[in-house]
Amino acid sequence: MTTNVQAPTKLFYEDVQVGDSIPKLVKPSLSHIQLVRYAGASGDFNPLHTDPKFGEMIPGVGGIISHGMLIMGFVGQMLSDYVGPLALRKFGVRFKGMTRLDDVITCTGTITEKYEVGGEGRIAGKVQAADQNGDVKVSGTFVAALPRRTEGDNSHGYA
Amino acid sequence: MFDKSKIGQSFPPFTIEVERGKIRELALAIGDDNPIYQSREAAQAAGYSDVPLFPTAPTMFTFWGNTKMVAQLVSLGINLMGVLHGEEEYEYLAPINPGDTLTGVMTLVDGKTRQGQGGTSMDILTVEIRYTNQRGQPVLNAREMIIAR
Repeated sequence: MTTNVQAPTKLFYEDVQVGDSIPKLVKPSLSHIQLVRYAGASGDFNPLHTDPKFGEMIPGVGGIISHGMLIMGFVGQMLSDYVGPLALRKFGVRFKGMTRLDDVITCTGTITEKYEVGGEGRIAGKVQAADQNGDVKVSGTFVAALPRRTEGDNSHGYA
Repeated sequence: MFDKSKIGQSFPPFTIEVERGKIRELALAIGDDNPIYQSREAAQAAGYSDVPLFPTAPTMFTFWGNTKMVAQLVSLGINLMGVLHGEEEYEYLAPINPGDTLTGVMTLVDGKTRQGQGGTSMDILTVEIRYTNQRGQPVLNAREMIIAR
């Protein structure tokens, strides 16, 4: 069994400042095919996300809506691009609105804190995903552990 | 309306093997074509020892791993028709690698019923799933809040 190690990262603890923006991620407009594909990958086959007739019957839904977890996945993609997947220590979101077909989701984020835990450099931030009208679908927070410039590239940094 | 006496109850453990192909499938379904999720070779070329876990991959552990989840939620007394997902949070405690076998235990950690207008009510439940690997090491905690009307 190999142990996965943190890949050489371009982002170091020293490089991040409170108030920095995370490079935003704009996703292609949401398609029915993507929901079907995401259902298969995730294992969440709730008909609310795959069968338009089912959504019509639910008051307040009226048609097909995205899995909230797909939108969290979009935010996860932004964080993966920013810090790398193995740097994440915590990632949580609140689902605030329904995402519908053809919505264009943009993920954004800001660094809110820098601190140390047992000598490990950590950053915390807030993130969100909103549609083309600025309606927020998902908002949340994350914590990531970042290597320092003085450390070797292979530190995976789990405290 | 859910059964308050169930707060604190844990369900029987389930196991799930972490598969490289499922990580790739999830990343592609989300639209993330980063090569590190596509193959071990590409991950190694980027400096990883194997395909890393996509940040929201734990959702697959729940849906594909815990095949009794729907029956377990129903046993709490909630109405699954029109259930909404309120919150999701992951705490990543140690690396999770392809080939690992994870054991998850789901616990109902909190729950309340809110009365609405006209005699309607909604249940707000928080469940936590704690995952350990084949060496018994805690690797991930997943918490989710669901709203059942």
